Amino acid sequence: MAEDLNWAIGGEAGDGIDSTGKIFAQALSRAGRHVFTSKDFASRIRGGYTAYKIRTSVDEVQSVVDRLDILVALTQRTIDENLDELHEGSAIIYDGERSWEANIPEEMTAVDVPLKSLAEEAGGAIMRNVVALGAACEITGFDVAYLDESLEKRFGGKGSKIVENNKAAARLGQEYVQENYDLSHLEYDLETTDADYVLLNGDEAIGMGALAAGCRFYAGYPITPATNVMEYLTGRIEEYGGHVVQAEDELSAINMALGAARAGARSMTATSGPGIDLMAETFGLVATSETPLVIVDVMRSGPSTGMPTKQEQGDLNMTLYGGHGEIPRFVVAPTTISECFWKTVEAFNYAEKYQTPVYLVADLALAVTEQTFPPEAFDMDDVEIDRGKLVDDDEVDEWLDSQGRFRAHAITDDGVSPRAIPGTIDGAHMSTGLEHDELGRRTEDQDERVQQVDKRNRKVETAKEREEWDYREFGNADADNLVVSWGSNEGALVEALDYLEEDGIDVRVISVPYIFPRPDLTEEIEASEETIVVECNATGQFADVIEHDALTRVKRINKYTGVRFKADELAAEITEKLTEEVSAQ
Amino acid sequence: MSSDVRFTDFKSDKQPTWCPGCGDFGTMNGMMKALAETGNDPDNTFVVAGIGCSGKIGTYMHSYALHGVHGRALPVGQGVKMSRPDVEVMVAGGDGDGYSIGAGHFVHAVRRNVDMSYVVMDNRIYGLTKGQASPTSRSDFETSTTPEGPKQPPVNPLALALASGATFIAQSFASDALRHQEIVEAAIEHDGFGFVNVFSPCVTFNDVDTYDYFRDTLVDLDEEGHDPNDYEAAKQVILDGEKEYQGVMYQDENSVPYHEQHGVTEDMSEIPDGAPEDAMDLVREFY
Repeated sequence: MAEDLNWAIGGEAGDGIDSTGKIFAQALSRAGRHVFTSKDFASRIRGGYTAYKIRTSVDEVQSVVDRLDILVALTQRTIDENLDELHEGSAIIYDGERSWEANIPEEMTAVDVPLKSLAEEAGGAIMRNVVALGAACEITGFDVAYLDESLEKRFGGKGSKIVENNKAAARLGQEYVQENYDLSHLEYDLETTDADYVLLNGDEAIGMGALAAGCRFYAGYPITPATNVMEYLTGRIEEYGGHVVQAEDELSAINMALGAARAGARSMTATSGPGIDLMAETFGLVATSETPLVIVDVMRSGPSTGMPTKQEQGDLNMTLYGGHGEIPRFVVAPTTISECFWKTVEAFNYAEKYQTPVYLVADLALAVTEQTFPPEAFDMDDVEIDRGKLVDDDEVDEWLDSQGRFRAHAITDDGVSPRAIPGTIDGAHMSTGLEHDELGRRTEDQDERVQQVDKRNRKVETAKEREEWDYREFGNADADNLVVSWGSNEGALVEALDYLEEDGIDVRVISVPYIFPRPDLTEEIEASEETIVVECNATGQFADVIEHDALTRVKRINKYTGVRFKADELAAEITEKLTEEVSAQ
Repeated sequence: MSSDVRFTDFKSDKQPTWCPGCGDFGTMNGMMKALAETGNDPDNTFVVAGIGCSGKIGTYMHSYALHGVHGRALPVGQGVKMSRPDVEVMVAGGDGDGYSIGAGHFVHAVRRNVDMSYVVMDNRIYGLTKGQASPTSRSDFETSTTPEGPKQPPVNPLALALASGATFIAQSFASDALRHQEIVEAAIEHDGFGFVNVFSPCVTFNDVDTYDYFRDTLVDLDEEGHDPNDYEAAKQVILDGEKEYQGVMYQDENSVPYHEQHGVTEDMSEIPDGAPEDAMDLVREFY
């Protein structure tokens, strides 16, 4: 297991917690250290506890743990909220000159730094968090110079004076601790490496994947935790001749995206639970009009408004079954932040090759987490673009009927019809949410109805044969017991393997990124004594489909507190499930 | 675009199932003629239709077309036009589609001022569901679902457009073929969102807002010497509760359409075979 350090800054929303945390995370990344971040945040602009947590190691880190080593506490609540994670060796940085009296457990190291006063000395009280970062550098033996680069990145746009003031603030914090405390007993000494890493979150990876895949049109309505996709694309997509439009609601967003897709653009919308409910209205139209569209659902805790800033994987059924009638669709669920990029690229190809809606289902834990990767993890040379049966002026002729009319919904062996976009000569055609004939004209003829339904469903069958719907595998492939997961749980599960190994427990882990079509796990389940399905919801939506596929029963680990799985916690739960079985025998 | 496009090129071979005498026949004819007259061609035109009797128009016309979800025709049209500035976009719908279920989209489409036209076939009744009150029905108009009338004022779509910052507001009458065509042409040629409310009588379910009623009462703004560039004059005719008008009520000479405001000028359907050449720069941003 990696020698890791767990650091956090916490305070009230509006205290600049997020940007301060990001500055430190970037500094660690620049120092060649891996970083995995998480956020505790509330759905409000000001007030309420919020924290930015960083786990860092020279080895790859891909989950959070129940341990906090260094805490910058701007409020007492920050300390209270994290008491379970703090330990004897923890150091807590706080400002003793502030009005609240810090109540810090005796066994921990209290580091009182006059954050505000030192910040004022450097040029302004606003920089008190940066003073705290300097103090944290001193405690962890991390060269304060690494902060400079991320301070430049964060404040460069505001002028060199601001940058210099911030650098000075960091040094004042560092020197204050150096001069006033002997913290050698803590024995923190952060190693650095020559590695160059990039640091990004899942929403950004989805946005970058869209740009790589040629997405040129994005329509959306702001909603936590998907807004970041839109914010990432805004200002970047224009460089490629594209456009982002903020619609009046999600009903409009998906219909605008649909319009752009019918006009031939690679088009996308992103939302979360309440927005996906509204968009469900248009799912059927996308499918029956055979329009290639990527619909991103960054899941958050539901139902209804639920817990908007909390983790959940509760929309599997919604994306798999949502919308009235029967809708051919693809549902793809990336399992890591880098996979958010690659699965987005794939989603655009599936959409155009099969002319269907493709749901890209991510979750809050992926969306708001920043993680380091070597840049090669996003090698743009590996991006392939397949536009399917998009026809040009010459190819249109093959698809005209005897009266010269374009057969936009032609019955074909693979179910995929030719696609002509406006401007293509002789390609003009109608499409509709009504059942239609090959020309896209309304029909209620029984034969034509059956032909069209079969044709649309045949596209899914074709895709099942043509594409690889594989899973990601970890642990011991020959182990007796199998743990299956989807979405962001993969990271915690992979790290849980280390804890399990320590206890002599051997499992095979299968992480599934394809929800529909999906790999058939029947053989794997039959080869295992016990199968456990892990997911962040209460009812076990993925476990249900796995049981249906394999015609068997599985065990379930469900978490719906609003907080993602942690590696150590997951290891304990898996152990418990497996022990249950032993005692039952 | 070929110069020899005739309006019949915009006609499909599907026979309309509208009731004989329906106003939608005249409305559609005028739309097809206006599209042809303004130099468009079916392969370069995208018609978006809503749901209801009016929504069937996509089937009876020949062009690229989508007949979508009830009330959402305007978002679809905007998506087409934003991504393909080279395509002529016309959205057609009814009073239920546009002013009831789609009213929210109407307000925002008007605000965006995308360079397209929006033709609403307003018959002040729900025809396809066999005669219920629509948002433009009179407050005392008795229907199966409002036996004593809706008892609420009808929506004034022209005023709604004006209040939303419209740059082109017009009204026409399906039966006055030449004027209707002329007004739709002006909407197409307008540099921005060209909105036309068309009185398109329902001969089956509306015995109040009939051809005769409009013939007898409709005042033509051209005969009144109305200046459509005069905002105050436009406000007066739009808010005039006594008379109903046809003609262009308002046109903002300084209209700046969406694509100019936002610099959206590219044909977004064309993309490279792989990631953009400089795409690794996107990754390096995250250093």
